[in-house]
Amino acid sequence: MGSPKVRVDYSKCGEKGKVDPRNCGKCLRACDPAIFIMHEPVGVDQDYIDPQMWRITPVWLSLCTRCMKCVEVCPEKAITVD
Amino acid sequence: MCQWCMKHGAGGKWYMNARNYSNELADSIQAREYLTEQWKNFEQVYIRKVMGISSIDLGYKLQMPIIGKVLRWQVEKMIHSDAKGRNPTRADGHFGQVIPLEDAKAILGNLAAEPIIENYCMCRWMQRGIKEACCINFGNLSGVIEKLPRFIPKNNVYKLDREEAIKRLEMHNRKGYVASVWFQPVPYINAICSCENPECGGLRLRNDFGLHTIYKAEYVVQIDAEACNGCALCVAKCQFGALRFIPSLKRVMVDAEKCWGCGVCRHMCRQDALKIVPREAVPAARGRF
Repeated sequence: MGSPKVRVDYSKCGEKGKVDPRNCGKCLRACDPAIFIMHEPVGVDQDYIDPQMWRITPVWLSLCTRCMKCVEVCPEKAITVD
Repeated sequence: MCQWCMKHGAGGKWYMNARNYSNELADSIQAREYLTEQWKNFEQVYIRKVMGISSIDLGYKLQMPIIGKVLRWQVEKMIHSDAKGRNPTRADGHFGQVIPLEDAKAILGNLAAEPIIENYCMCRWMQRGIKEACCINFGNLSGVIEKLPRFIPKNNVYKLDREEAIKRLEMHNRKGYVASVWFQPVPYINAICSCENPECGGLRLRNDFGLHTIYKAEYVVQIDAEACNGCALCVAKCQFGALRFIPSLKRVMVDAEKCWGCGVCRHMCRQDALKIVPREAVPAARGRF
């Protein structure tokens, strides 16, 4: 039995999405075990002295309790939990 | 003392050895170049693939039969690496130890190489999206961080003299933030953080996944059962769940196996019931870093 499959839709939130995660970050704070990480996208060419492109990715999936607070709190409904 | 004291302590604690803070040491290991590469996109560290594997769902990956053990062994090697050609974008050789306020003050007062700066904590940014100016950096790391605008506090007051740095550190400690000192990379020391568990990357990897990114302090907390009045204000401060209020005895106890020896609980006690003692003085805690 693996970890919960938590996914963020990058077309809704991220450098290509409607929302810049730096201006929101609600999932980062709603998640008690803090499974989400805000980071610069890998493989996207940008200036790393002052990067402007960011994403939020669920990383510590084994710690997810399926409380669904992230799904509820996201204003763009970008998060799914299986 | 821990194994790092044996290796890098020159007879004492590794973080009390003046050589580990020196600019000469930093130059000899090309620390400035290393730190620049490490810090310019440090926030990617858990997403980037290392030998084809990222940290995504690390808990599951470490549990996989055989591959999990190999992965763990490989990551531990990277964390503690002092080899030539170690990789800065993986933060090879970056690990640390929790210290109580006294040791942190001694470092900032006497050992840390100036300039000393205080910048936004990268871990809190990655994990919580908040900007908190509580990371005290020094030596070559100051010049590196200064070039990265996202870490510089908005009010631009980030250069600190030794006295100011000590004041700020004490303020963070009183908030319940755990002081920690870091090799970056080993054996060069250039950072004292004020951490939360598990917002701190090091504490996360240690406490949730058993990776030795950070070690318990050279001390543990002891409680004077007679002096304790059972107010239990200290219990809320412990980031490690080492303090427990015993309702039937109306006092608090310290779990010596769980205690990391950070000592932030002491700030809450009006009875002076909490003290730190050397780790080896407590049989349950001796040698357990």
